[in-house]
Amino acid sequence: MKKPLLLTGLILLLLPITLAAQGTDSTTNSSTPSDWQRKGISIRKIFVWGRRPMKQIGVEETRLDSAVLKENIALSIADVLTFNSSLFVKQYGRATLSTVSFRGTGPSHTQVTWNGMKINNPMLGMTDFSMIPTYFIDDASLLHGTSSVNKTGGGLGGLVQLATQPAKANGFGLQYVQGIGMFKTFDEFLRLTWGNDHWQVSTRAVLQSSANDFKYRNHDKKENIYDENKQIIGSYYPIERNKSGAFRDLHLLQEVYYNTGKGDRFGLNAWYLDSNRELPLLTTDYADDTDFENRQREHTLRSILSWDHLRRNWKTSIKAGYIHTWMAYDYKRDPGNGIMTSMTRSRSKIDTFYGEAEGEYTPNDRWLFTVDLSAHQQMVESADKNIILQQGNQAIVGYDQSRIELSASVSAKWRPMERMGISMIMRGEMYGTQWAPIPALFADYLLSKRGNIVAKASISRNYRFPTLNDLYFLPGGNPDLKSESGFSYEAGISFSVGKENRYTLSGSASWYEQHINDWILWLPTTKGFFSPVNVKKVHAYGTELQATLATILSPEWKLELNGTFSWAPSINESEPMSPADQSVGKQLPYEPEFSATTTGRLTFRTWSLLYQWCYYSERYTMSSNDATLTGRLTPYFMNNLSLEKKFFARWADFSLKGTVNNLFNEDYLSVLSRPMPGINVEFFIGITPHWGK
Amino acid sequence: MKSLLRYLFPLIGCMPVLVGCMKWDYGTIEEFSATSNGLFIVNEGNFQYGNATLSYYDPSTKSVENEIFYRANGMKLGDVAQSMTIRDGIGWVVVNNSHVIFAIDIHTFKEVGRITNLTSPRYIHFLSDEKAYVTQLWDNRIFIVNPKRYEITGYIECPGMTMESGSTEQMVQYGRYLFVNGWSYQNRILKIDTETDQVVDQLEVGIQPISLVMDRNQKLWTITDGGYEGSPYGYEAPSLYRIDPETFTVEKQFRFRLGDTPSELQINGTGDKIYWINQDIWQMSIDEDRLPVKPFIAYRDTKFYGLTVDPRNEEIYVADAIDYQQQGVVYRYSSTGETIDQFYVGITPGAFCWK
Repeated sequence: MKKPLLLTGLILLLLPITLAAQGTDSTTNSSTPSDWQRKGISIRKIFVWGRRPMKQIGVEETRLDSAVLKENIALSIADVLTFNSSLFVKQYGRATLSTVSFRGTGPSHTQVTWNGMKINNPMLGMTDFSMIPTYFIDDASLLHGTSSVNKTGGGLGGLVQLATQPAKANGFGLQYVQGIGMFKTFDEFLRLTWGNDHWQVSTRAVLQSSANDFKYRNHDKKENIYDENKQIIGSYYPIERNKSGAFRDLHLLQEVYYNTGKGDRFGLNAWYLDSNRELPLLTTDYADDTDFENRQREHTLRSILSWDHLRRNWKTSIKAGYIHTWMAYDYKRDPGNGIMTSMTRSRSKIDTFYGEAEGEYTPNDRWLFTVDLSAHQQMVESADKNIILQQGNQAIVGYDQSRIELSASVSAKWRPMERMGISMIMRGEMYGTQWAPIPALFADYLLSKRGNIVAKASISRNYRFPTLNDLYFLPGGNPDLKSESGFSYEAGISFSVGKENRYTLSGSASWYEQHINDWILWLPTTKGFFSPVNVKKVHAYGTELQATLATILSPEWKLELNGTFSWAPSINESEPMSPADQSVGKQLPYEPEFSATTTGRLTFRTWSLLYQWCYYSERYTMSSNDATLTGRLTPYFMNNLSLEKKFFARWADFSLKGTVNNLFNEDYLSVLSRPMPGINVEFFIGITPHWGK
Repeated sequence: MKSLLRYLFPLIGCMPVLVGCMKWDYGTIEEFSATSNGLFIVNEGNFQYGNATLSYYDPSTKSVENEIFYRANGMKLGDVAQSMTIRDGIGWVVVNNSHVIFAIDIHTFKEVGRITNLTSPRYIHFLSDEKAYVTQLWDNRIFIVNPKRYEITGYIECPGMTMESGSTEQMVQYGRYLFVNGWSYQNRILKIDTETDQVVDQLEVGIQPISLVMDRNQKLWTITDGGYEGSPYGYEAPSLYRIDPETFTVEKQFRFRLGDTPSELQINGTGDKIYWINQDIWQMSIDEDRLPVKPFIAYRDTKFYGLTVDPRNEEIYVADAIDYQQQGVVYRYSSTGETIDQFYVGITPGAFCWK
């Protein structure tokens, strides 16, 4: 009895560190009836670490394959990362701003690319992941810390790479999914595909809308009961609705690929976003929501033209892209005449022109050389406020600035022996007239072929340039800001074992350490506005663990367990800002020290049960780490469950799915004063006709 | 395989263990009885985080109680507490971005009422038991409220402002007239007839008058911050002005250097000395003809954000917001500038109110 108990305990201990697959092949994941009737359920192939690709030398990467991305197509990338990675996702509410940070760094230290083009907002530096539907992403990977230097600079935390892929269609194809959920939530997903040996064409559309007026117990407020003399005779914590939280997001994605079949591929990707979201009232707001309007709108077009040219031992790739973003923020109130009158009318327009050329040369199986040059020309017009001048005429407070952002890199990757690999990258970045060298060195070594045990290590120096708002925003922009700079090093080990169609087990553990200087922080001024300054010196260090287990329980049953665990101290090592400063040596606010995720996937024939769990430790809201009564964000656990059943007819495939979010109806907060929904349910029905098959 | 199943199924069975059981901690409501002549400290908190708090300091015992509003009422004060005014044993705490003014008993700190749905309230000034004015940001109106019924009863339209550029701040009464300084993208002092609730006159001063006080000679004093570099409204050296409310004209102007950031103009209990923050703490007699050259209390790597003078003994209290993300600290100095005490309060202590 002791032994099974010990083993169960050990597995339980390992559970939080089980993980999202690395380098797995997702194509075998979706089973058709003929699949399981003919040969039962198969499991993903394991990766053979001994023949690890040269590009992966020393790289710490988490891949989110299409199975993970499509688990719930109604989710945003923010939700997927919450349950499948060690990243910290800070959510300001349901369908509101969601930022992502690696390893105790800030959201603007996370670089984000879409098909190679940077999509971080050049004004803010960060990316709103709630605006990226998983339905539009076919491949996502996370390059942690130093590994991001392989692709870009500025990722002091890391890089999130998002990509679309050709649909592999043969003839016409259609998929339509409709979701109906609580809080008047309606989701529509449509994909049309057509393809042959040379052409692949895909059109995707997502329309999501919701009144988003979920009920919650407001712990921050009390409703008073008065007598006729307006004396308070009682009070209670009211059950309120999430006021002013409605949203409607429309996304369209057009892709066209042409493959010559002779080593050349041309691609066009165009993604249009039209978002109209109200910003929910804080839990501490006593305004009548019918008198106020707080709304954010965005129109964004992201487009890329690409040409990939492949030959036996070299390849080149050229890309050109354009992003246009129009953002509006309106804060209005009805002064009593029934007309909503503007209190803040903020508009910004961003145009980004992008170009990139990459080349790779493999003279033999021991060497790989790469070269990369990219340019992003940013043009920003920001109009933040309309004012009346002293002379009586009107003026706009804002700025109009442009900046060229160049990044160039050369790398040499060398595998002197089968077990060992070394990679060296020299990157240089120039933003405007400021230049920074970004070098990185990687190494790995295959310790054991039997368990595919690989040890790896890397070191890099990185810089993040101030954003355009940091430099030029009116009021407060600080043109004298320095770049944030970081020196980081890390080491890790990974393994993978398995037996064909029986089980696979893989995992990794890494340790990292990073020092960031001149951390930019926006602080209030005595003039009533905020201004950025280089104030903090931060020491971020910790451990990331990942593991995955997939096993065939019987010819009809399959079980997969994935999980992550992260320990991420991020310590302020600045000089005290004042004699009374209590923040030195403390964890940065809003950075959890511990986090963990687990996903369990049980498949039986055409049934699929998915269980997702995540945990964040307490996030301090004060730099001094004081746990005050009014400023606590206690640890929380989140649980989601979904059940899917597929049906197969001669002319079409169908799917029915039910998801339960926040299964145990937890009262929780991700950010102070931002209400989060309790248990909620959504149902999906999907149809995929068999046209011409 | 069987052995594998033996371990896996208990594992799945144990999964709900991971969910935890989170119970919301409401804290306990405390009974206070603060009868001494103490000092309320209004801590703004962080914009959009709803973590404003109220602290109470007893100078006689040198003891401080923090988060008193939450501890006495079991709920949060709100988002960006701006100011507090006491009238007849009731403290009126203006919480700017929560669109509310809470009325509390100044001894028990318990809420006795609230005025809600204000646009962006800044300060409250009482004209009678049943009438008060509330200034606003992002509104071209000053709200008229009935403090007895906790109701908005009317508005005073301010000329030369739209909702978007509207900004009215501190109020000082002189007879039947009330004087109000505009602030954000403003350069005027407004004169309001409290009987007709109309703006009857206005006086141009420098860019962005930030505070307003009245001395023992019934003269108004205001200090401007001069705007900021690049502002389309203008950027100039800040100034301190003495204004005669009778003639509504500027009597004296004291110029600071361009780039100075004076704020928080305060006056002592006898009305003969004014104080302000301009990185250091400065003090000046109301009879001076030029600005002092030496600070009263020197800057020492502090982020001085709030200032008050004890009306009874001229002791000076200065709030240091440190990094605006932790408990600020309040330094207490004697009337001659010697340190007496220091104590931690809430995040971004910006305003004081004497009991």
